[in-house]
Amino acid sequence: MRYSSMPERREGPVNPMPKSPGPSEEGGGPRKPESGSPEKDNLLKRMRKVDPKQAERYRQRTGE
Amino acid sequence: MRLFGIETEYGITREDLADVDPVVESMELVRAHLTASFERRWDYAGEDPHEDARGFRVSGLAQDREEDDFAKLDAHRPFSFHEMKSDLVLPNGARFYNDHTHPEYSTPECRTLKDIVAHDRAGEYIVRRAAERRNRTLGGTHVQLYKNNTDFHGHSYGCHDNYLVSRAVPFPRMVSGLLPFLVSRQVIAGSGKVGIEAQESGFTPGRFQLSQRADFMETELSVDTMHNRPILNTRDEPHADPKKFRRLHLIIGDANMCEYATALKIGTTRLVLELIERDAAPLLELEQPVAAVKQLSRDIDLKAMVRRKNGQGISVLDIQDQYYQAAVRILAGTDQESDWILKEWGETLRLLRQDRGCLVGKLDWVTKLWLLETFMQEERVGWDDPWLTSLDLEYHNLDPKRGLYLGLEAEGNAWRMTTEADVERALSAGPSDTRGGLRGLCIRRFPDQIKTMQWQRIQFSGGVRPLTLEMGDLFDPSAVARCMDVFNAAESPMDALNEWKRRKDGQS
Repeated sequence: MRYSSMPERREGPVNPMPKSPGPSEEGGGPRKPESGSPEKDNLLKRMRKVDPKQAERYRQRTGE
Repeated sequence: MRLFGIETEYGITREDLADVDPVVESMELVRAHLTASFERRWDYAGEDPHEDARGFRVSGLAQDREEDDFAKLDAHRPFSFHEMKSDLVLPNGARFYNDHTHPEYSTPECRTLKDIVAHDRAGEYIVRRAAERRNRTLGGTHVQLYKNNTDFHGHSYGCHDNYLVSRAVPFPRMVSGLLPFLVSRQVIAGSGKVGIEAQESGFTPGRFQLSQRADFMETELSVDTMHNRPILNTRDEPHADPKKFRRLHLIIGDANMCEYATALKIGTTRLVLELIERDAAPLLELEQPVAAVKQLSRDIDLKAMVRRKNGQGISVLDIQDQYYQAAVRILAGTDQESDWILKEWGETLRLLRQDRGCLVGKLDWVTKLWLLETFMQEERVGWDDPWLTSLDLEYHNLDPKRGLYLGLEAEGNAWRMTTEADVERALSAGPSDTRGGLRGLCIRRFPDQIKTMQWQRIQFSGGVRPLTLEMGDLFDPSAVARCMDVFNAAESPMDALNEWKRRKDGQS
């Protein structure tokens, strides 16, 4: 499968993620994306700004 | 419910320098977190990566020689070992330090998915804020951080998930129950990668795969973590009472940007551990698990079949489905969180088969693939274009003005499991039902009276005799709450320890 267009608005799961006990009572549960028709242009603009050679320069030492 | 935690090694670079010294950059980044002078507090006496869960001790690790070479190089630096490590324990019970030249954030121990996701995000905020502070000193946005696992030149760094398990479960049962699950978990928890590479060698562009780490898996079982990396790490370092507990230390996982992927990675693994403890995990012995990890990672259509020891073939989704079905049979109705995991796990497997576009913003590899294919179509470039590798890297950038995932999230196109308030709370305190919360409380209440800390112990200064809070068996949430009450109310650590001892003696 290939994606050629931005995803449509998606519905969230019926049952929310259970809330944890204790102080973190409000919130929780996966929240569906808020925008109905996402703005593709901003993301493409961001992607076009990436230097094509950036990964070539990126070097790290081996970690765990 | 068991405890779990995530350790994340971040990639770090300086864009204004041709030659980046990772030791200095990682050290300065961690130190930039502090506003006061640096103070080490970590006690390494509790750490021994040479003990093997299979019941023996290795004399050396594959990485020891390389570590020795680096130690010789680093010996010429004007810093001590402890200065280079720059160990910090934070007011939320987390650990933040320089590990193998990567800034590493280890969450406090958590008991719920909501907490682990919030603390994983809190880690992102903490390292990002440290980078912002460091960049203000440098006078530009020179330091950039990446929550990923490869430099595309064969150097990988980890994101380890850890689980407290009972030592009563025979380790061979743990191995047979976990291996097929871990081989296939990447279909949910993989972060996606452009290209193929191998340990410290080569990079071949032109292909997208599910996982960042799959290329670096070299064996089924090993105590090593930097070379000869295993699907199932056998390091026996429980950070708890060794007679009662093991710490399952999984190094195969990718670092996730998607909160939903983090929740499912930890949640499904937790359920599989419950199955193993009940001796109810499916028996799916794979003929060649290491080859299977790579083969499955490199098939984004999810059609590849890997061979079982019984001669039959099985796909990545069928492996996951067998674990899912067993979990539904055995664990449905156990508790609210287990039911949530089961529902989301089943739905995710269905969408992976039928409509995976719905998983953009939920699973990292699906999200990254969608972004890259959108870009390829617009710019008319192919998979072998180096631009795509750079876009892969930038997906993981923690700079909100640059990171591709963070851009998607800022536009409201990623699924959130947390609110900003959840993350802010996780920045200031640990979970109230684990020793991580107690550790954080001690940091906040008695910062000047702590001599050393480690996962299972806090040593306070000031007394003639050692003043030590032992937490190697402090896992019952009500006991944690009682101990936190004591440390909240006490005038000094000595008063708290005396009162805690009195209460424990009164119970026995």
